[in-house]
Amino acid sequence: MIGAMDGADLRAAPAREPRSPALIDQLLRDRDAIVARIAAGKDLMTITKTMVATIAITMAIVGAALGSYRGGIQIGYAAIKLPLVLIGTAALSAPALTAIGAALGRRSRLTADLALVITALAYGALLLVACTPLILLGRAVDLSYHQMILSTVAMFSVAGIASLRLVTRALSAETGPGRGSAIIGLCVVFALVGGQLAWSLRPYLLRPRTQEVPFLRETEGSLFDAITGAVRSARGIYTRDSAPLGD
Amino acid sequence: MSAISEPLPYYPRGPALALAALGPVAIGAIMALRSETAAPLLAVPAVVFGVVAATSPALYIASAATGTAPPLSAVVRAFGVALGAFGIALAGLLLPAAFLALSSIDTVMTFAAASAAVGAAAFLGLRRLAHELGAAGKSPYPGAAEIKPSLTVSTVFFVWSAATIGIAGRLWWDLASEVLS
Repeated sequence: MIGAMDGADLRAAPAREPRSPALIDQLLRDRDAIVARIAAGKDLMTITKTMVATIAITMAIVGAALGSYRGGIQIGYAAIKLPLVLIGTAALSAPALTAIGAALGRRSRLTADLALVITALAYGALLLVACTPLILLGRAVDLSYHQMILSTVAMFSVAGIASLRLVTRALSAETGPGRGSAIIGLCVVFALVGGQLAWSLRPYLLRPRTQEVPFLRETEGSLFDAITGAVRSARGIYTRDSAPLGD
Repeated sequence: MSAISEPLPYYPRGPALALAALGPVAIGAIMALRSETAAPLLAVPAVVFGVVAATSPALYIASAATGTAPPLSAVVRAFGVALGAFGIALAGLLLPAAFLALSSIDTVMTFAAASAAVGAAAFLGLRRLAHELGAAGKSPYPGAAEIKPSLTVSTVFFVWSAATIGIAGRLWWDLASEVLS
């Protein structure tokens, strides 16, 4: 069915409401077409609902894979929290995109911007779910905790850049003022909010020897401190006598 | 003042100005929550609107003295549009700033997030002001010649912007030092 209803068919029959699998397939194969659909304001509710569901399902799978490093209840915890990170990032970033553009004269359209940001994040989520075998491979070959963290950061960085690239392509195709500033503003807000939200809802990965599994860690330090600390630890440079056992 | 001088789309002026009035109060509330003092609730709007009120006449006087000023009514209107742009931009940045500020235990993060939101909104407001003044210069008075972009026009606007940002920055820094100490 997915193969039979490709992007060209969707463009040829705009009156018919597209089905969710077809939209997801179009997102993977023909992103320009789905961006054009959003720019035209077509099927925004259907697109948004489909992409939110895509994020929820794919990120739950990715979260479960990450949680499997520790196992047990952590699989469920991470599967709940990771979709919240992406959907929360979209909810906090999309108004910034609309507002920055509107201040400089870009046509104000919050619904379309929300659909665009959610779609871009859904694309990143699909890329991440494609990385799930790599996460499981890391577990299978007993990668160390810090190596696993750095691998995860790398995968999420690639997915984040791909998501941002989709948004910038969509905004670059617009005409009129304000889009340049909107792109820069969105990139900054997206990176800061996404990073901090992910940081606030951690842990996703836990050391296998951790005894008590917390749903959320207490707020401490900053994301930047944590990344530099992980790089140092992965290189064998430790500032503590022993690793924490968890909360 | 701006290379782009085509008219930009407008948003409803009343709601935009209401956002401009409420946005700094909301930023003040974020800082007040973290510092547990009520002072920022009044101080942030006072810094924003006080500096604009104190420095905006200077822009008109300097522009008029150098022969590059649109009519006073057009300048007032340009300031209204720019304040509206500031309000809309700040409204969009408020949620991310609140999240970043309140999800961190570090008060410096609160100050940085609030400063970034107000600073970015102010920058966008200044850009909009430059554009509106440039558009107003296209037909300053019936029958008058167009005020073309020139080094004088750009210099006046740049110096005024730098002075305004400098004054606001100093007051903001003093407020932060007091609140966060």
